[in-house]
Amino acid sequence: MERFLWLPEAIGKTASEIDGLFNLTFAIALVVFVLVEALLVIFMIRFKRKAPGKEGRYIEGSTKAEVIWTLIPAIILVVLGIYSSGMVYTIQETPSDVYEIKVVGMKWAWEFEYPNGAKSMNDLRIPEGKNVLFKITSKDVIHSFWVPEFRLKQDAVPGRETQFVLYAQDVENLNQKYEKRVICAEYCGNAHSKMLADFTIMPAGEFDTWVAEEKTRKKTDGYSIALANGCTSCHSIDGSKGAGPTWKGLLGSERELANGQKVVVDEAYIKESILDPNAKVAKGVTGVMPAYQLDDETIGYLVKYFEELK
Amino acid sequence: MLAAATGDVKRRSFFREWILTVDHKKIGIMYAVTAIVFFFIGGLAALFIRTQLAMPGNMIIPPDMFNQAFTMHGTIMIFLWIIPMLTGAFGNYLVPIMIGAHDMAFPKMNALSYWLFLLGGLVLMSSFVVGAIPEVGWTAYPPYSIQSQGAGLDLWVTSVHILGLSSILAAINFIVTTFNMRAPGMTMNRMPLFVWANLVTSFIQLFGTPALAGAVTTLLMDRHLKTTFYDVAAGGDPMLYQHLFWFYSHPAVYVMIVPAMGIVSEIIPVFARKPIFGYKAIAYSSIMIGLLGFLVWAHHMFVAGMQLSAGIPFMITSLIIAVPTAIKIFNWLASLWGGQINYTTPMLYVTFGFIGLFTVGGLSGIVLGNVPLDLHLHDTYFVVAHFHYVLFGGSMMAIIAGTYFWFPKVTGKMYKESTAKIIFWTYFIGTNLTFFPMHMIGLNGMPRRVFVYTPDLTFLNQISTAGAFLVGLASLAFVIQICVATMKGEKASANPWNANTLEWTNASSPPTEFNFEALPIVTEDPYQYGEKPGKSKGNIA
Repeated sequence: MERFLWLPEAIGKTASEIDGLFNLTFAIALVVFVLVEALLVIFMIRFKRKAPGKEGRYIEGSTKAEVIWTLIPAIILVVLGIYSSGMVYTIQETPSDVYEIKVVGMKWAWEFEYPNGAKSMNDLRIPEGKNVLFKITSKDVIHSFWVPEFRLKQDAVPGRETQFVLYAQDVENLNQKYEKRVICAEYCGNAHSKMLADFTIMPAGEFDTWVAEEKTRKKTDGYSIALANGCTSCHSIDGSKGAGPTWKGLLGSERELANGQKVVVDEAYIKESILDPNAKVAKGVTGVMPAYQLDDETIGYLVKYFEELK
Repeated sequence: MLAAATGDVKRRSFFREWILTVDHKKIGIMYAVTAIVFFFIGGLAALFIRTQLAMPGNMIIPPDMFNQAFTMHGTIMIFLWIIPMLTGAFGNYLVPIMIGAHDMAFPKMNALSYWLFLLGGLVLMSSFVVGAIPEVGWTAYPPYSIQSQGAGLDLWVTSVHILGLSSILAAINFIVTTFNMRAPGMTMNRMPLFVWANLVTSFIQLFGTPALAGAVTTLLMDRHLKTTFYDVAAGGDPMLYQHLFWFYSHPAVYVMIVPAMGIVSEIIPVFARKPIFGYKAIAYSSIMIGLLGFLVWAHHMFVAGMQLSAGIPFMITSLIIAVPTAIKIFNWLASLWGGQINYTTPMLYVTFGFIGLFTVGGLSGIVLGNVPLDLHLHDTYFVVAHFHYVLFGGSMMAIIAGTYFWFPKVTGKMYKESTAKIIFWTYFIGTNLTFFPMHMIGLNGMPRRVFVYTPDLTFLNQISTAGAFLVGLASLAFVIQICVATMKGEKASANPWNANTLEWTNASSPPTEFNFEALPIVTEDPYQYGEKPGKSKGNIA
C-alpha cells in the first residue's frame, strides 16, 4: 500500500532529476501548508469570541507586513522558477549519440519503429546503456505518450513530431516487463483507457538479436495479431462488454445491423469489417472503429483464431 | 429601523413578478435557483463517474456513456453552475445594493443575460433528450472533437456561444454599474471587496470570452463548412485551438475563484469583528490576478508539442500568480488575529473550508506550473485533485458560505445553525476524502478521463468514491435545509449579523423593490468593526 503514496520507480537520469525537483517543491509547499493551516487553527481557537457583543481590535493593516508577505513568496518563487528553467534546458537537450525509436499513436494502440525498420505493437523494447530518443507522432487524433517511470510525456500530435530523450543509466530490472506502463494521457475516444503498452529494458546484445529477428518475423498467431493491432482494447474475447462487439461466439453467428438488415458473420464479413468498419455496423454499437490495412493472410490467421473462440 | 415591505405592496402574478422582472435581486435569485438545478445534474454525472471507478475493471457504465458523463460534468459545473452562481447570482444580487444603487445600469439587458443563460443551459440539456450527448471532454480538442459523431458537439458549441453572450452582456453591465451607479461618498476605495472582485471578474469575462467564441466557432466551421483550421492534411494545426481555448479558459479559472475570494473577504471581518486587514492589498491583488491570469494560458500546453523552453515564460508567470493569492491568504489570517471570532456557519466555510482547502489547491498549482514536474503530472489525476481543491475547496466553499451569509437578507428568514454546522463538517470531510487520494493516484500513473485502471490503485479510488457520495449527501442536505428555512425559518431582522455594508445597514430583509428608502450617503470605509481606541464603533450613515 505505502508504495502508492509516493512517486513510482524512477528510470533514467531525467527521472531522478525531476524527482529531486519534486521533493524540493513539495518541501516548500509543505512548509507553507503547515504554516497557513497552523496559523488558521491557532487564530480560530485563540481568538474565539469571549462574550456576545464583544468586538475585536481595530487594526486596519500594516504596510510592513504586506511587504514581508509579498516579497518572501515572490523571491522563493522566482528562485524556484530560475532553477527549474535550467532543468528545462537540460531535459530539452539532445545528446549526439542517440538510438532513435519512432512512436506512433493511433486509435487505440502504440506502434514502435526501430532504426532497422522493425516494428512492434504495444510492446516497447529499449536497449540498455544507450541514450534513446523517442520521436513521437500520431496517425489520427491527439494522444499523449507517457511512461510514469521515465517521468516524461509528450503529446502525439498528427502532423507534428514531438520528442524526448531517455538517458542511459544502470537499470536494475533488466528484462522485466513493465506491463501497461506506456500510457495514453490525452483523451482520444472510447478505448482511451485501454491504449496501453508494455515496455522492457533489455541487455544490449539481447536487444540487437530481438530487433533483427523482429524485422523478419511474420506473425501467424491470431491472438498476437489482435493484441498487436490493439483490437482487444475494444473487443473482448470472453463475452464481456466493450466499446465494440465481443469476439466470443462471433464467427458463424447471425447479427442485426444498425440499418435493420441481418447478416451471418463469416470470413467475408470479417474482412469487410476490418478494411471498412463503417460499411456494416452492428446494431447497438456506438464506438467508432478505424480502418485497419491488414493483408488477406493476416486476416486469415485472425479468422482461424475466431474459430477457437466459438 | 427601516420600514419593511408590508401589505401596501401590490401582489402581482407569478408571470409579472418573475418572468417579466428586471429587478436585479429577483434576477439574482433566478440565477441561483437555475444554477442549483444544474449543479445537481452535474453532481449526478460526477457520482456516475465515481461509481464506475469504484472498481478497477468495472463495466457498470459502457465507455461511451462514461465519456459523456465526464464531458457533461465538466461543462455543467463550469458554465452552468460556478460561473453563473458567482457572477450571475451573487454578482447580480449584491453589486447594486452594496454600492448603494437602485438597480443595475441596464436592467433589461440584465434580464436578457439571465434568459440567455437559461437558454444556453437548455440547449446543452437538450442533448439528453435527442440522445446526442457530447463526449469530447469539456475542452473539446480537435481533431478528436471534429470527428465525433452526431449532434452532440454542435449542441455543445451552440450552448457555449449562447452562454458566452450572456457572460459578455453581464460583464458590460457590471462594469458600467460599478463605475457609474455608486452612491454619493462610495469612492472606489470604499467599495466592498466583493464589488472589487466582481469588477475584475467582469473585465476578465469581457476580454476572454471572445477568444473562446472564436475557438468553438472554428470547430463548427471545420465540421460543417469544410474549413481546415485543424485539419493537418490540409496544413491546419490542432494546437491553434488549444491556444485559443486556454486564452479564455485559464482566465475563466479566475472568474471562478476571484468572486469567491470576494465573498471570503466580506464574511471574515463581520464574524471576526475587526476591519479587514489590508483592504487595498486584497482589492488590488485581484487586479494583479486578473492581469497575470491572461499571461499563463500555455501552462496547459507544456507537453502539447511546444518546445519545452517555450514553456518557461508561462512557468514564471504561473509561479508568480501565486503571490497575489498568497497576499490574500495572509491578509485573511491577519484579519483573524486579535478578533472576537463568532463561529457561525458562513465563518466555518470561509475559514476552515476556503482558507484551509484552497491552500492545498494553490500549492499543488505551484507543482503543476513547473515545466519539468508537469512532464510527469500533466493530464493525470494529480491535476484532477488540484483543480477540485481550487474549485470545490475554494469556489464551492465560498458559494455555500455566501448562501448562508446572505440567506437572511434574501429571504428575510433565518436558518438553523446547528444543522448547518453538521452539513459543513460532512462537506469538509467528504471533500478531502474525495479529492486528497487523487494526488497519489495521479503520481502513480493514472491518467484523467479513463474508465478502467490498474488494480493497484483500487483502495485509493474507493476512498475517493466513498467521499464523493458523502459530498452528494451533504449537497442534498444543504439544499433541503435552504428550502425548509425559506418556508419555515424564523423571521430575520434587517441586520442579524450586525454587519456594516449597505445591504445590511440600509435595507430591510428582504430589501424593498428599489433597495433603499432613501439614497444612502457613504461617509466611511466598509469594514469599520472593532474597538477603536478613543472612539465608539463607527458605522455607515
